[in-house]
Amino acid sequence: MTFSGSARCKIALVLALSFGSFSSQVSANGAIGDHVNNLHAHLGEYAEEVQWLEDKFGAVVDVYEKQGKGKVDTDVMIEYWEEVDFHSAIETQYVPVYATIWQGIYGVKTAIDKGADASAVRAEEAKLVHALWQGLGAVKLASQYQKKGLIDQVQTTETEPTTPTEVIDDIKVRLDRVVAKYAEQLSEVATTLVFDTYLQRFEGIEGALIELDAPLVEDLEKDFNVSLPQAIEQDKGVDAVRDVVNAMQVKLDKAYALLAEAEKNRKSVF
Amino acid sequence: MQRRTFVQGLGLAGLAGGLGLLPGMSFANPANAVSVDSLPKLKGDLTLYLGRGEGGLYENVLEAIKKKNPGLNLQIRRGATAELANMLVAEAKAGVKRADLFWAVDTGSIGMITNQGLAKPLPDDVVNQLKPGFQYPMWSPVTGRIRTLPYNTERVRADQIPDSVMALADTDLKLGWAPAYASFQSFVTAMRILEGEKATANWLKGVNSKAKKYAGELGVVMGVERGEVDLGFANHYYTLRLKAGKPDAKVDIAYTKNDAGCLVNASGIISLTEGDLPINFIRYLLTKEVQSYLATEANEIPLVAGVAPPVGLTPLSSISPPDLDLRKLADIRPTLDLMRNVGVL
Repeated sequence: MTFSGSARCKIALVLALSFGSFSSQVSANGAIGDHVNNLHAHLGEYAEEVQWLEDKFGAVVDVYEKQGKGKVDTDVMIEYWEEVDFHSAIETQYVPVYATIWQGIYGVKTAIDKGADASAVRAEEAKLVHALWQGLGAVKLASQYQKKGLIDQVQTTETEPTTPTEVIDDIKVRLDRVVAKYAEQLSEVATTLVFDTYLQRFEGIEGALIELDAPLVEDLEKDFNVSLPQAIEQDKGVDAVRDVVNAMQVKLDKAYALLAEAEKNRKSVF
Repeated sequence: MQRRTFVQGLGLAGLAGGLGLLPGMSFANPANAVSVDSLPKLKGDLTLYLGRGEGGLYENVLEAIKKKNPGLNLQIRRGATAELANMLVAEAKAGVKRADLFWAVDTGSIGMITNQGLAKPLPDDVVNQLKPGFQYPMWSPVTGRIRTLPYNTERVRADQIPDSVMALADTDLKLGWAPAYASFQSFVTAMRILEGEKATANWLKGVNSKAKKYAGELGVVMGVERGEVDLGFANHYYTLRLKAGKPDAKVDIAYTKNDAGCLVNASGIISLTEGDLPINFIRYLLTKEVQSYLATEANEIPLVAGVAPPVGLTPLSSISPPDLDLRKLADIRPTLDLMRNVGVL
């Protein structure tokens, strides 16, 4: 991957991302500090880390290509990823790409562990490298928003959403995290997160929503309680789980619009 | 709770004398709900611990109170009701006091706090605003909800549904339930207290052998409406809300009689600090405006006199809930143990 390649990724990312996609409430694996709340000061460091990761992952595949499966410890790929500050920067700012990076790491790792053809492993490596640079693009974009004060500081403790539309936003972030946890191969954590999101968040708004669009609630009920948990439990793969989440997020956008309109028209208390 | 307090046409004095009052309860003729305009302005600092409520409607109430009282500095800590109750107990044990008020969505958590001696007494005029059966000296119910049996109107006739919840363990009807749901667990707690451990265990086993499990109680009601099951167990407002969004929904509500199947539970508020400010804050929640708002917007049951119940709900006067002091629902641990032991959880 060259910087011109990464620039293409960033352009695509800017088109794909909206300001609202960035999250300020997170539960990150890494520590929350200046490296996530002052992103701009660390962009150079992150670019170096991404290059370092690309080189390290590439070296693992080089060894596999030359010496075969027995000579490669693929667990080291996870150690590399967990070592860098860039990890928590992307985890706190744009969970969908964070999930894709994990998916890429396990794509390479699984291909090597299964003894796949070197060309297949290289294809997985290319996807991983693409995701890393895409992640750097997301962090750079977030740093601009952060400098302008458009996104809140990342907090170490969650605050409760207070309006129906805030709840929808929170659900969407949590669903992104479900994909990320599944991509990290933490299926039980992902499943628990689905049920917690349903009981602690969706359940609080579905009463209001069903008055507005009963079939939409029926769809989302099924997604929360059947489609998404089953996709995880049956280990259908990150792309399949992400497809379910993406479909849910489209429905949640519709729910957002309905609830926002209903709140505008709601009678006042006094 | 005194079920007969709902029966119309009985004199309240004779009622209380005939039944005997449960500890901590009083029966006074309820005053009509007052208007917010008659209340004093709230001024000063208050910290409220707020249990997660229905879709932000409690938040709307709080915002309206803040707007009406610019001199009030209201800090709110939000979370699951049970977690906040645990936090209050832990803070008290550590000698820390952060909250002046606790607004809980279930009475189990209320009981936990009053049992710890953390609640401050309410003045009589506040207590007396509540309907008979909901008058407690150490906490104030805010709104109520009834346990109901939603049923599919194309698959079941009302006269096929037993009026005893215990009989449903032996029915041929296909049942739907959400045993992991907090309201359901409060209902099982009520059954355990009223019917005993053994009868409740047998009931759980009987229903478990034929019931379809759902994650939440709106899911139960929707499952009933789709015809996946004939009848379910759920709080009343889910059916009302489904019918509001889908007027031709094939679902209606049945009630049992004098048992946990028609338990009336309540959200409630406790003052944790002496003084006028927290008490006056509670008065705002009992105004006809707030009670009416929660009845019309959230289908919750107003518990002060003179405020209309949600449209579509059978009047409380026609329902016969069981005799039960709601604070006893705090005893949830044996319920969870029982449900686990019989394989329901």
